[in-house]
Amino acid sequence: MPPSTFKTVEREKAFKHPSKTGHSYPILNEFVAPHLESFNALFPEGNDPGLLALGIKDIGKRVVFDGKGSTESGSRQASWGNRLSMWIDSISVSRPLVPEKDKAVKERKVFPSEARERLSSYRGKLQISLSWQVNDSTVRSTNKDCGSIPIMVRSKRCNIKETPSAELVQRHEEPEEFGGYFIVNGNERLIRYLIVPRRHHVIALIRPSFVNRGPAYTRFGVSIRCVRIDQTSVTNTLHYLSNGSAMMRFSWRKQEYVIPIMLILKALISASDKEIFEGIMMHDYENTFMMDRVELLLRSFKTYNLQTGTQCLEYLGDKFRVVLGQPEDWSNQMLGTWLIDTLILVHLPNPRDKFQLLLFMIRKLFALVSGDTCADNPDSPQHQEILLPGFLYGMIIKEKLAEALTQVRMNISMDVAREVSTVDFFDERYISKVLSKVSFDVGAKMSNFLATGNLVSQTGLDLQQASGFTIVAEKLNWQRYISHFRSVHRGAFFAELKTTTVRKLLPESWGFICPVHTPDGTPCGLLNHLSRSCRITTTTLAVDHIPALLFSRGMTQTHAAVLDGRNNVCVQLDGRVIGWASPPIAKRLATDLRAWKTQGLHKVPLDLEIGYVPASKGGQYPGLYLFSSAARMMRPVKYLPNGRPDSIGPFEQVYMEIACTPDEINPDVSTHVEENPTNFLSILANLTPFSDFNQSPRNIYQCQMGKQSMGVASTAIRHRTDNKMYDLQTGQTPVVRPVLHNTYGMDSFPTGTNAVVAVISYTGYDMEDAMILNKSAHERGFGYGSIYKSHIIDLKTERGASRGSAANLHFGMGRDIRRDDDIREVIHEDGLPLVGTRVAPGDCIATYIDDTTHRTVRHKYHSDEVAYVDTVRLLGNDTGDSELQKVHITLRIPRAPVIGDKFSSRHGQKGVCSQKWPAVDMPFSESGMQPDVIINPHAFPSRMTIGMLVESMAGKAGAMHGLAQDATPFTFSEEDTAIDYFGKQLRAAGYNYYGNEPMYSGITGEEFAADIYIGVVYYQRLRHMVLDKFQVRTTGPVDPVTRQPVKGRKRAGGIRFGEMERDALIAHGTAFLLQDRLMNCSDYSTAWVCKTCGSMITLGYDDLMTTTRSGSLSQGVGGPGGEYCRVCRAKAEEAKASPATDGSDIRLQVPSEYVLRSPKAGEMDIIAVPYVFRYLCAELASMGIAISLEVA
Amino acid sequence: MSHQNDGTHYGGYNAPAHESKPDMEYICADCGANNTLKSRDLIRCRECGHRIMYKKRTRRMVQFEAR
Repeated sequence: MPPSTFKTVEREKAFKHPSKTGHSYPILNEFVAPHLESFNALFPEGNDPGLLALGIKDIGKRVVFDGKGSTESGSRQASWGNRLSMWIDSISVSRPLVPEKDKAVKERKVFPSEARERLSSYRGKLQISLSWQVNDSTVRSTNKDCGSIPIMVRSKRCNIKETPSAELVQRHEEPEEFGGYFIVNGNERLIRYLIVPRRHHVIALIRPSFVNRGPAYTRFGVSIRCVRIDQTSVTNTLHYLSNGSAMMRFSWRKQEYVIPIMLILKALISASDKEIFEGIMMHDYENTFMMDRVELLLRSFKTYNLQTGTQCLEYLGDKFRVVLGQPEDWSNQMLGTWLIDTLILVHLPNPRDKFQLLLFMIRKLFALVSGDTCADNPDSPQHQEILLPGFLYGMIIKEKLAEALTQVRMNISMDVAREVSTVDFFDERYISKVLSKVSFDVGAKMSNFLATGNLVSQTGLDLQQASGFTIVAEKLNWQRYISHFRSVHRGAFFAELKTTTVRKLLPESWGFICPVHTPDGTPCGLLNHLSRSCRITTTTLAVDHIPALLFSRGMTQTHAAVLDGRNNVCVQLDGRVIGWASPPIAKRLATDLRAWKTQGLHKVPLDLEIGYVPASKGGQYPGLYLFSSAARMMRPVKYLPNGRPDSIGPFEQVYMEIACTPDEINPDVSTHVEENPTNFLSILANLTPFSDFNQSPRNIYQCQMGKQSMGVASTAIRHRTDNKMYDLQTGQTPVVRPVLHNTYGMDSFPTGTNAVVAVISYTGYDMEDAMILNKSAHERGFGYGSIYKSHIIDLKTERGASRGSAANLHFGMGRDIRRDDDIREVIHEDGLPLVGTRVAPGDCIATYIDDTTHRTVRHKYHSDEVAYVDTVRLLGNDTGDSELQKVHITLRIPRAPVIGDKFSSRHGQKGVCSQKWPAVDMPFSESGMQPDVIINPHAFPSRMTIGMLVESMAGKAGAMHGLAQDATPFTFSEEDTAIDYFGKQLRAAGYNYYGNEPMYSGITGEEFAADIYIGVVYYQRLRHMVLDKFQVRTTGPVDPVTRQPVKGRKRAGGIRFGEMERDALIAHGTAFLLQDRLMNCSDYSTAWVCKTCGSMITLGYDDLMTTTRSGSLSQGVGGPGGEYCRVCRAKAEEAKASPATDGSDIRLQVPSEYVLRSPKAGEMDIIAVPYVFRYLCAELASMGIAISLEVA
Repeated sequence: MSHQNDGTHYGGYNAPAHESKPDMEYICADCGANNTLKSRDLIRCRECGHRIMYKKRTRRMVQFEAR
């Protein structure tokens, strides 16, 4: 017998004996690699100090003066007093460890599973060394604790980093655990990828909104996002003004500033006017358009009367002195230099490089204005990169530390200003006192960031949004879980945008972003998923030798004497102008570089992106742009000239000819060929069988539904504490699956069951996408699932808990519960439920004793479903020195499929179970087979999911022959059709070639007139179940204000019968129903109305006892209960003095037949009104508006 | 460690609490050791110091109607 194509035995072996050296599916680690690598980049590795260390270096020093002039120091220094400067020297992050207080513990390391189970956070200590120096005395430093920051699971600082499968299982993890997320309060949360503008590339923009920036501003601008080595970024925009000049815009502490570009050009290298003129013109004197503008640029700057670079720096420093907040003793020139260093083109440390790039920006801007070049599309992946989780994390830590340091300075300067006597810079006690006053708890802030996804920031971090950075990695099923790690969001800002241009699917994204895997609805096109083979670079490549290499191959250097701009294009490496070359040479350089990088020659790294933009008329600005930085999307393809693997990015891909399959290679044109024609799809889209046969929207729907199906979410379900977990009892491996199903080990986490599906209109119960389930299939366990819910009892937050540290509530059962009390059947002496017991709504699930009252309190189970206690976890605290205060109970809710539950095939064909049809009445085939599922033939013509039909055939043949059928898309062709392939298999198994069979009615036993299409299709049970959704009520809770039924299923509310429904009833003339729905079943109430004045709010009661006794008191005649109108009676009294006037503002007529009761003797009638109307009357009365009902 | 505390904590409940309160056995979530915990004992494994305990499944018969 040939080996099984399902690999069942191998899989079982892998589960029984997990690998002791590595993983069974190492490929799973690949798709979290950018998460992990970017996080690891924060910490030192070899010679690399790590991003955190680079960040604290960039924070710099904070300086404060004590104002005490000392005679020894210089004259200028004297006025300021002693100079105290502070900075952060070093930073370190530890692995998650048990606090030192706890001495008894054997294992000092904390593992992720403990954080999950104990509902705590998985974090390590952050420590900094803070140094300070007074004047020029010795440097002193102290260590400062900055709290604990959450650590990414399986990162460099994690305790299960590079742990093999066998040990992972011991640590209560998934054998294939790949990490990439944080654990905060027991929840797994991850920082999502965010799309940001590509760094170090000048983008030409035409935005009508630029005009609003001020007078003379135009639509034109060029923009560049510059990134420092610690991965923090600054965006610089150059605006074109209608007077020919240009303004540089940047933002500092969320405030935007603009500076004339000439000021910066001069300040940078003290450039002469000629130098600037030649630099921009580049001997292109015939270009009068450019010449005019450069002339204007130079002329308009004359008004500033600044000639030298120093003057410009001083001018800048003077203007920005207040906002920058740098040391007071700095000269204007120092401030100006600092401003340019930290805010203008920050990726280039050298002023000459900045100058060169600015000239290039001006040239590109003028080219854009003149129409020589077109605007770049910022929505295209060509101009985008990914903001990586670890980098963002590091940016926030850096900013929080900088904030703390600034706080220290502020505190000291405040003390100085208030002339606090203890201020003494030489006194270490004073410094430590100030340090203790400032909160250095970065850990809490990072935990908060991860828990909420909100960015609390002073600078805004050059990002467009302040919230929505993190998401929960829901483990609803495996497909959903892994998709989280591959999802890319465009940014919350774009979600509100009314225009849909950002959501468009662009051809540039081919191979990088999956065209199929995006949700429909609001986030459509904004929340995308990376293609399967798309990688994200996480390191900056070693490219220092590239400029020399290119120079040796014919590139002209930047400082060449004569450079003609007309026949030379710019060569840039990571946003630095490294030279110029004529277009043919530039093209040759690009080809050479590609050959070298694919062959590994001249140390050219494979991930170098070589974007050669050819010269065109009105196209993209030409040049040779090289990118070696981190956070770029890259994907593997094959380079045709040498047949070697190449790695390409979205910038260069636009100018490439990539054949999808080897057959499509056009020898004259093609440069590359895809390694696999399905590589452009995401992992999930790849899992749809025969997706190339389906109409494309159906594949999109399947990507949605795959993520909603019940399945085996986790193999370590016993150790999980998710709020809600779905579990499928009998998941199966699909008979029909693409090759990648095995590659990604999807069989460990099945999400459905193979079902025999007949396409037939049988009972009428399969209309409108309903499906009939075979009752026997259901009884055999088809689609049986359960829900695991968490129930947490924390005595610290329970009612009656004391605020102090000592607990006054304790789990347990006091003596006040009788020995024969029923709850002893469910709850033990320890106050916790028996494991395995059944709890119904309203049952007691735990008991605790209140020390203050000495009574036992019963904690009830509030839910409307019967559940079984699956696990009871007793949770200690971090240090293991507290008694039991927190309990986590896992409840299992059985969920057998019922009528109304949702199922779907893998082709976007969803349906609701309408009947569980008895097996005897099901149709059967000649061999006696009965379908498990019946669906209606009408599901196919309009949806065109041919893939499902092919799957049905393939499944049937696979089941008969014992084969796992390959359903990889793009394997069949017009010549070699899938139908023929599987039809032959079916025929070999003794079936009809086309997959349909004669069938017999289960009820009459007669053969159907038509043959029925029947086969095996993999069915998913979706998590939407009627038991979670049904909403019905007769009577129930009402809103206290309006007395109308409340809304919401959770509160046993009603379903709104709104205006449109009302219209329908009116149109039908069903008045009784209308009255019944909107009045009797809603807020029916009765009210007393005065016959005279029509008021509903003036009811008064005569005390009948007193009136009858005295008789003389009554003025008018009250009702049977003594009801009277207070207003009318008062008026009647007044009328004796002056004539009364009617003061009502609104009059409504009530016909006499609507008066319920009109007591003969009395001035008040009773009418039925909706209670809200009475409420309205009262509200209007409070504003001085009276409503009068004319009761006839 | 907390055995002596039992009496003082109870205040008015001086009566022999141990009689009616049998020690409960729990399983350490890390090392799997059996731990006997009294009411108000610290949640900490005697063997390894771990801070999570699982309650054992009841020895009582658990029976439900199969419908």
